[in-house]
Amino acid sequence: MPNENFRRELGNVFDEMTGSPSSALPDRVRSSLASGPEQRGPYWIAGVAATLIALVVIGVLFVGNPLNRQPNKIVPGTGPSPTASAAASPSPSSSAQTTPDSSLPPFVCNSSTGFVTKATTPPQPPVAFIDQVRVGTHAGYDRVTIEFNNTDPSQVDVTPQNSPSFTQSPSGQSVTLSGSAGVLITIKGADEHTAYSGSTDIKTGYSVLVEARQVQDFEGTVQWGLGMSKPACYRAFFLTNPTRLVIDIQTP
Amino acid sequence: MLAAVMEQRPQLMQSAAAGDADSFAVLIEPLLDPAYRLAAVMLDNRSSAEDAVQEASIKAWRKLRQLRGDAKSLRPWFLSIVANECRMARRQRWWSVVKLPEIPSVVSSPEHGATSDLKAALLKLSPEERLPLVLHFYLDLPLDEVARALRVSPAAAKSRIYRAAKRLRSDLTQEEVF
Repeated sequence: MPNENFRRELGNVFDEMTGSPSSALPDRVRSSLASGPEQRGPYWIAGVAATLIALVVIGVLFVGNPLNRQPNKIVPGTGPSPTASAAASPSPSSSAQTTPDSSLPPFVCNSSTGFVTKATTPPQPPVAFIDQVRVGTHAGYDRVTIEFNNTDPSQVDVTPQNSPSFTQSPSGQSVTLSGSAGVLITIKGADEHTAYSGSTDIKTGYSVLVEARQVQDFEGTVQWGLGMSKPACYRAFFLTNPTRLVIDIQTP
Repeated sequence: MLAAVMEQRPQLMQSAAAGDADSFAVLIEPLLDPAYRLAAVMLDNRSSAEDAVQEASIKAWRKLRQLRGDAKSLRPWFLSIVANECRMARRQRWWSVVKLPEIPSVVSSPEHGATSDLKAALLKLSPEERLPLVLHFYLDLPLDEVARALRVSPAAAKSRIYRAAKRLRSDLTQEEVF
């Protein structure tokens, strides 16, 4: 019978491969069982220890949040009171009311993009209309104020750069502002052609902020470039009633 | 001895589960020989096979409370631990000293020639492919125990046995294997 022949042949090969276990094997096993650790004890303890360590690490990461800091995140409405307003007019001025520094966010000096956003998304209605852009100078900072007349934009990015050159959109042409450094303000969920009729290129003559120019108003995104006489720290925040985006450039 | 142990199994199982190492040693003693043969085929090395069986015995002792089913479940459960220990031993081998198997003496006879061909074909199989063949053809485990030792369904076990056997003898039919 083929099955039996196959089985017998295979058995012979296996016998040849394995031989017999040494006679000492049962004693080896018995002694190792007698001297071995208790049932499951070490694994159980190791499991509990590993779980505790994992919980501590997760707790430290959760509380400390060392890898996901967002120092530049600012939510509209959390800033100073609505009565505190930025300086008005494109002319150099220090007569306007200023916001108390103690309640404002600190200036930041890194080159990464600062992120200023609204807590409720998507905005209702979806596009915020810019109706005014003002600049002003104050003790310690030059200020740009962008005012919205209906709602808040969905997102704002503030990006410092080492040159005052910007790319206009949608034309793609490069434009170089006055000064030697720049800041790009990107406002998403906004337009500047519905309610704004002011200047799109403001030359200030201030010590640090020397020019502000619109570089994009297209497909719900508005960009303004700031030309600065030198690289400087900045802070960004919102004021309310009406909603205003405020960018302060630190001055000596 | 196996029959005697089988009769005492429930009692031995109880005392082993209660922590009596001697009872456990008595329980697995009849299984050491098939366990060794399984390990020797998988590892192709006799001393490594004994080491694997010893290590597997300790692990089985630690995990005894995880054993489910009646006393008949002990054999496939223990053999599955041995097979797993062999897999681990093979993974560790890349950095350890490789012991070559004994060189067989050359005997020229027609029967030996057929056996040598079969052995050569067997050695070409991976240890995972040899495993169902050892369990079914060499240790004579029924299909359901092979399945439990492999931790697969009986249908999958049957398929693995047939596939591996076909690699040894391509002309085998399923009826000839089972």
